[in-house]
Amino acid sequence: MAAISLSKLNKHYGSLFHAVKDVDLEIADKEFVALVGPSGCGKSTTLRMIAGLEDITSGDIRIGDRIVNHLPPRDRDIAMVFQNYALYQHMSVYDNLAFGLRNKKTPEAEIKAAIDRAAGMLGLHELLARKPKQLSGGQQQRVALGRCIVRNPEVFLFDEPLSNLDAKLRAQMRIEIKRLHAAIPTTSVFVTHDQVEAMTLGDRVVIMRDGRVQQVGTPLQVYGKPANKFVAGFIGAPAMNFVNVTVRTEGGATAVEATGLKLTVGEAYARALAPYNGKPVIMGARPEHLALGEGAAGLSFDAHVEVVEQLGSEILLETRLGSHGITVARVPAETVIASGDQVRVSVQPGRLHFFDTETELPITG
Amino acid sequence: MPIVTRPHFLPGLPQWSRKTLFALALFGICFAFAFPVLWLILTSLRPESGVYYVHRGTEFTLGSFAEVLSDDRIVSAFLNSALISTLATVFSLLVTVSSGYMLSRFTGPASRIWFGTIYVFRCVPYISWVLPLYFVTQSWGIYDTYTGLLLPHVAVHICFFSWLMKGFFDGIDPSMEYAAMIDGCTRWGAFIRVAVPSALPAISALAVLCWLFTWNEFLFALILTGNRVPMITVVMAQFVTEMGLRWNLMAATAVMALVPAFLIALFGQKYVIRGLRI
Repeated sequence: MAAISLSKLNKHYGSLFHAVKDVDLEIADKEFVALVGPSGCGKSTTLRMIAGLEDITSGDIRIGDRIVNHLPPRDRDIAMVFQNYALYQHMSVYDNLAFGLRNKKTPEAEIKAAIDRAAGMLGLHELLARKPKQLSGGQQQRVALGRCIVRNPEVFLFDEPLSNLDAKLRAQMRIEIKRLHAAIPTTSVFVTHDQVEAMTLGDRVVIMRDGRVQQVGTPLQVYGKPANKFVAGFIGAPAMNFVNVTVRTEGGATAVEATGLKLTVGEAYARALAPYNGKPVIMGARPEHLALGEGAAGLSFDAHVEVVEQLGSEILLETRLGSHGITVARVPAETVIASGDQVRVSVQPGRLHFFDTETELPITG
Repeated sequence: MPIVTRPHFLPGLPQWSRKTLFALALFGICFAFAFPVLWLILTSLRPESGVYYVHRGTEFTLGSFAEVLSDDRIVSAFLNSALISTLATVFSLLVTVSSGYMLSRFTGPASRIWFGTIYVFRCVPYISWVLPLYFVTQSWGIYDTYTGLLLPHVAVHICFFSWLMKGFFDGIDPSMEYAAMIDGCTRWGAFIRVAVPSALPAISALAVLCWLFTWNEFLFALILTGNRVPMITVVMAQFVTEMGLRWNLMAATAVMALVPAFLIALFGQKYVIRGLRI
């Protein structure tokens, strides 16, 4: 039973590098939170501070009702899965699983029962006598997960645990982790640079950049209502298209314009964009919200096809509109199209995003 | 894609003659290394009258070995060398392993200063340590004692081998130790129970190197010891007397001194190779 609370958490390395800046975060008991961001954004440092592997410069970390700022890792009742598995190479799988419990002087019979249960959950029974070197990457990561669950800790921490696995195995392990969390609901913090992992695993997603939290929200919130241009561009694959446009209101209709582009936006957008009349803003449109062909009136433009990526189930188009590259997803796979073609691209009404050019914050009515 | 084959040496020759040449070359190189040892063994088996005609006579004897072994000074030199080598290995490993670990894992000023110190001492030629060490051991009153020989050896090992040990630990993933710390170990506990066992091949390799280094060492033994703690390498050289050279005795002693070193090198070889590969 442990919630985690970070307040005004800071980490300086020397006087020059400020890795984590004023991070505030409340993680509820049994919640699964994914920390995501580009490399060097401070997400791993934050996790290591929760684990106690990294000193904190200022701020507070609570696990349950204890402030753990200066507690050594072994007293925090946590378990951690590392990117490179971090199994004890000189011990058998069984001894790896037993290590933590033996340190707590748990009776061997209890240890055996706990390992049996974990091995059953993760399908490790055949591997118990082997050494980590004799296991594949996926098996090693399952042992690492097993080592966490036998200890039955209050908090699970995951530090990019799937990064070393190949794509197929990664998808499998993702499901395995999800299943595990359903079976043994434990407060979990999962660090990844892969937004797909973050979105699929997290009850909530925390997006970080340059040591600061950019947005905290459910996957649907961060996708649908990004807190700024960075989040909008980071979440979603392929990434959101951004176009620098100018707002023009004429005769009661509001349009946004760029070279080769004039989109007449609906009522709600018009209200939000009213203060920006005549000024530049950044327009964002997700590739999956663009389609080929003439869509709703005043919401389409011509683009020049540069690259055609046939995925079998759909086509990804890289097109050019003036100085902007525009990606179009979800083009039916059977569409006959070649690079060099001129296509008509339409925007789904109500699916546009606008950001202030200065603050990069969303413009909402 | 074109298949690229490595060009053979002497491409004009047929394969069997290439193989023969290769075998001869190998044999030649091995012989060049083995010849002094063979000559030494042969000399040790010849009676005193035959040492200058090792290759001619047919008379062999174990008398030189018996004579050498009946000399208390030589026997105690063997024991001393074995004892000092073993103690130096144990003590220097105790320090070297933890110092290598510190150099690898900690980046604070203490680590940098330690690294700098070792570096400076490594750059100083080995021979220029000896004279100051002689004065130091004299003034501390440990000249010609076990301590007086052990301390310099341990110091040299630490300077020479901490670097190697740092390299080994650099190759071991630190997250294993983090996992141990989360699993209930202290920093020391993680070092002793996880890092050290993982470095065991490297530590064994280092033990072999340390032991051989001390066993074969001559300069410290010559300058820092006298009659109370004779070392085998020095005793061996003392067959050069005013009355002439006792080649047969010197050879017999040398052969006996070779045996432990040879055995350790032979059985330690796989650890050395595995350890140095980490």
